[in-house]
Amino acid sequence: MAMTMTIERVMAFMGLDVLVARDEGLFEAEGLDLRIAALPPDEIRSAAEGTPSKPTTNQGKLQARGAAQMFQA
Amino acid sequence: MIVCASLVVPPTSTVFTPQELAHKQVALDYGNGTAYAGLQMLEGAMPREAVTSCPAATSPAERFAGLMRGEFDATVLQEPWITVAEKAGCRLVSTTFFHGTWVATPDASTEAYAALLRGITRAVRRINADKRRYVSYFIRDWAGHPEVAALRPEDFDLGRIQLKEPGPIPEDEARWAWEWMASWGLIEGPFDVTTQINRKVERKAHDLATLPLP
Repeated sequence: MAMTMTIERVMAFMGLDVLVARDEGLFEAEGLDLRIAALPPDEIRSAAEGTPSKPTTNQGKLQARGAAQMFQA
Repeated sequence: MIVCASLVVPPTSTVFTPQELAHKQVALDYGNGTAYAGLQMLEGAMPREAVTSCPAATSPAERFAGLMRGEFDATVLQEPWITVAEKAGCRLVSTTFFHGTWVATPDASTEAYAALLRGITRAVRRINADKRRYVSYFIRDWAGHPEVAALRPEDFDLGRIQLKEPGPIPEDEARWAWEWMASWGLIEGPFDVTTQINRKVERKAHDLATLPLP
């Protein structure tokens, strides 16, 4: 039975390796069912709402509520 | 994955060096690695009190648009928007690189993490063997943005696309990052490696993930 893992959405600039591995079946070959979860659009907040010492970020939100095991910071 | 970030000024700017950004408005996407890279590039060129930033959108598309509208003096961009900016006549005044770091929940499976690392390692080897073949991924991320759709694979500077096989986090680098963030008031307290890195899980996963060289 395949292992499963859910990670937060990555984009090419910081996760090209993950996207290529997914598309070319490299996780599947390792017995890993990798799922990529995205935050619902209405929950995404802009960094423009933040300040240097109190930033606004979307990273880790899915992980914080148990909907992902990993995210890339 | 190694992330590339550049401080970019518009085509009409009189700024050519990061030092010349002292007391000028630099738009940063606070809370993201690119913003911290931007701050570090500025800090390397001037006293901290001369660093002047303003909040900017998370989306580099919006930051690029704001730059071209003259809403601020400079901003930090990542690919493919660095390439878009260069094609539009913008100038890079500083470029840096930083590690993307995986953050895991305590219950993440070591075996699944090792499988993730193996898959990533194989992907890194494939991409590094022919980077140009994979630049389409940077374009694909931004469907609906004509500036990105207009890019061709040969427009990309492959030196800005750097991939490294994943490895354990060096403790000194983790400490430096912590202390730097604390110096900006983003986190509090002393660095404690035992609360930040589960070395037992990390070591086991990396041992399981070790692949022979091709």
